[in-house]
Amino acid sequence: MRDAKTLRVLDTGLRRAAENMALNRALLESHQAGTSPHTLRFLRFTPSALLGFHQDVEQELRTDYCAEQGIDIQRRITGGGAIYFDETQIGWELYLDKGFLGTADMGAIAKKICEAAAEGISALGVDARYRPRNDIEVDGRKISGTGGAFDGDSIMYQGTLLIDFDVERMLRVLRIPAEKLSDKAIESARDRVANLKDLLGGNMPTFAEVQERLAESFARAFDVKLEWADAMNAAEDAAFREALADIDTPEWTYQHNRPATDATMHEAITRSQGGTLRVGVAVDPVRNQLKQVWITGDFFVKPRRLVVDLEGALRNTPIEALEANVKAFFEDHPAEMLMLTPDDFVSAIRAAVDAGRD
Amino acid sequence: MDCNGCEFHPELYYDDEYQIWVRREDDGNLTVGMTDLSQTIAGKILHVRVRRPGTRRPPGKPVATIESGKWAGPIPNFMDCTIIEGNAEVMENPSLLNADPYNAWVARVEPVDGADKALEGFHTGDDARKGYCARVKKDDIHCDKN
Repeated sequence: MRDAKTLRVLDTGLRRAAENMALNRALLESHQAGTSPHTLRFLRFTPSALLGFHQDVEQELRTDYCAEQGIDIQRRITGGGAIYFDETQIGWELYLDKGFLGTADMGAIAKKICEAAAEGISALGVDARYRPRNDIEVDGRKISGTGGAFDGDSIMYQGTLLIDFDVERMLRVLRIPAEKLSDKAIESARDRVANLKDLLGGNMPTFAEVQERLAESFARAFDVKLEWADAMNAAEDAAFREALADIDTPEWTYQHNRPATDATMHEAITRSQGGTLRVGVAVDPVRNQLKQVWITGDFFVKPRRLVVDLEGALRNTPIEALEANVKAFFEDHPAEMLMLTPDDFVSAIRAAVDAGRD
Repeated sequence: MDCNGCEFHPELYYDDEYQIWVRREDDGNLTVGMTDLSQTIAGKILHVRVRRPGTRRPPGKPVATIESGKWAGPIPNFMDCTIIEGNAEVMENPSLLNADPYNAWVARVEPVDGADKALEGFHTGDDARKGYCARVKKDDIHCDKN
């Protein structure tokens, strides 16, 4: 029943997180079962904090803030980190299979899809580029983050598109050190994301135009024709109802919750000739590894996204591999620094780790 | 026979796509893991979650899920079975699946209708080796643990 040369386009509108996640599961399972065509879905969310598939609510989110603000908490079926999603973003996602994509290599699949998405975003009048492994950027600032899930040969790959995103709100939803909520830190976080509205000003396209440009770009990249649909088929509807009954429950969202104290956060401030480094770390004591690192402070590095990249590269680093990983990172990422050395970063992170060992 | 450096064990049982391996235990239970080619495709594995012991899983319903990079998904299951236990060591240190896929088992399961019935349709021995190498070559998979 599935036509290899057709991509169905669905717009499921503004929905609660639970419904969007249930649609993820329903459409991926239906695709795997052969009852669903290759599909591009556009989706939007009422305010939602979305956890990665294997994450824990208490470790990642400020649940009190979410409750106070009426923000839904939901678990995704895709991997990666927690994100905040609301009406100021558009979601896009593809349901395809490895045969359609011509490869089983997950990295190659992400690249192919992200490059096509970047071209579609560029058609709106900005210069968007894929940035390995999972981002799309405009001028070094993130405009779209992506992730995927698979089930047998079927894959679902999804991404965001920031239209008028409020970075500060996202930072308040995520459980990160208070340090990252200073005016300066918020400003620097804002500096790392690109909103379509800021980039295009008065020439802002409508939702329909955004969808059309993205859909056309995917159709070109995969050499298929588009078929705009109004609704899902009966098998998908049934799968959706079944998935919603499972996902729209605390059992799904809060599964395997570990108390927030399991990954402890510590901070330290160190000074060197190159300036002041403030480092926050979340350590997983069971695996003895850095869960996450946050680096701010008063120092000079270029390119400016280097610090974000270093934070990303150090995720899930065993503590004994810290020094080697920092050095390997700087070997791969040429940096311009004023009086600051890779060793300064090692010492600063080490100090934050040690701060938790009192 | 060279399989692009992908490790193979003829005494184990494999699904059609060579994604998982299954070992018969003396007590009639089965041990399940990921193959070398499968962990290679997945890339560095960051999380593993095994369903609760005592849960019955029919064919098509996964025993465990994994996450690598920003991809998440099931380790496929083809047997009607009940979960006995997940490998705690692997759940705490999922990269063992990359480093040593045939020792880093994922779960032990009890086949509902016995091991013989559960392993019907699986491949083993020389037949499996041929299929495994063919899959590696077809998808151009190179297993390089370094």
